[in-house]
Amino acid sequence: MLVLSPSAEAGPLVVSGAPTPVAATSKLVNKVSVKPRLGQWSKVLVGGPNLQPDETNAIAVLYPVPNGGQADAFVIQDQGGANTIDLSQIYVYATISGDTPMVEAFEYVTI
Amino acid sequence: MRRRELFRQILAAGVAAAAVRSLPAQGPSFNGPAGGTRGTQLVTILAGAFDTSTGPNGIRPLTGVPQFATYVRIQVNPGQQGKIAIGNSAMAAASGNIADAAFIELWPNWDGSVDNGRSDTWIMSDPKWLNTIDLSKIYVWPEIAGEQPVITAYQLV
Repeated sequence: MLVLSPSAEAGPLVVSGAPTPVAATSKLVNKVSVKPRLGQWSKVLVGGPNLQPDETNAIAVLYPVPNGGQADAFVIQDQGGANTIDLSQIYVYATISGDTPMVEAFEYVTI
Repeated sequence: MRRRELFRQILAAGVAAAAVRSLPAQGPSFNGPAGGTRGTQLVTILAGAFDTSTGPNGIRPLTGVPQFATYVRIQVNPGQQGKIAIGNSAMAAASGNIADAAFIELWPNWDGSVDNGRSDTWIMSDPKWLNTIDLSKIYVWPEIAGEQPVITAYQLV
């Protein structure tokens, strides 16, 4: 039967000095979100393989959350109910090297 | 409407709600409809403040046995002061900083002074309104022991 499950690629993504893909190899999922790690101070950029640290080609620019409340996030989900979003084509950059933006990913699996 | 009829309707609604909360298992290893199904009535199968204190290290899955929902919402309880970490089964086995094994963290909004009092909230839904989200695979950990996020889950039966 069909189940929408948390992907193994989800979790804090270590970004060290350059835009980093969420997955090293092709991995299709239904939903992905990127969110600054709470308590960290990086501005977080999200983009494709052509993402530049100066925000060129960024599809989202996320601010850190200094003092509670709702955090900024980039969220995309295939509304057709299929795994169509390739994690290896989504790049993340944090303005402070070593910061770890949170990546959430869900995928359809048949069990 | 007469008072007795109104009372009868309220009673019937209460009985229906109680029936929904105790969905019979349709399989030996899970409760309620199977994954991937799509029913015709949206019912609440999880609501209210969620106590994780019975889980090891204060980490608890949303349900003890597989139960499939179409919509899940987890909100930091306004006024509470700790972060809420949400993760998969890897978080249940984590040591050290448990939030390092989470896939998302929610900020508290302890005094309502920012974002017009809105609390951080995580929402997951199946885009085709199928019961595909296995609640037993989603784990929650409050940074401060004893705090209880507000968790809601819907199922189509």
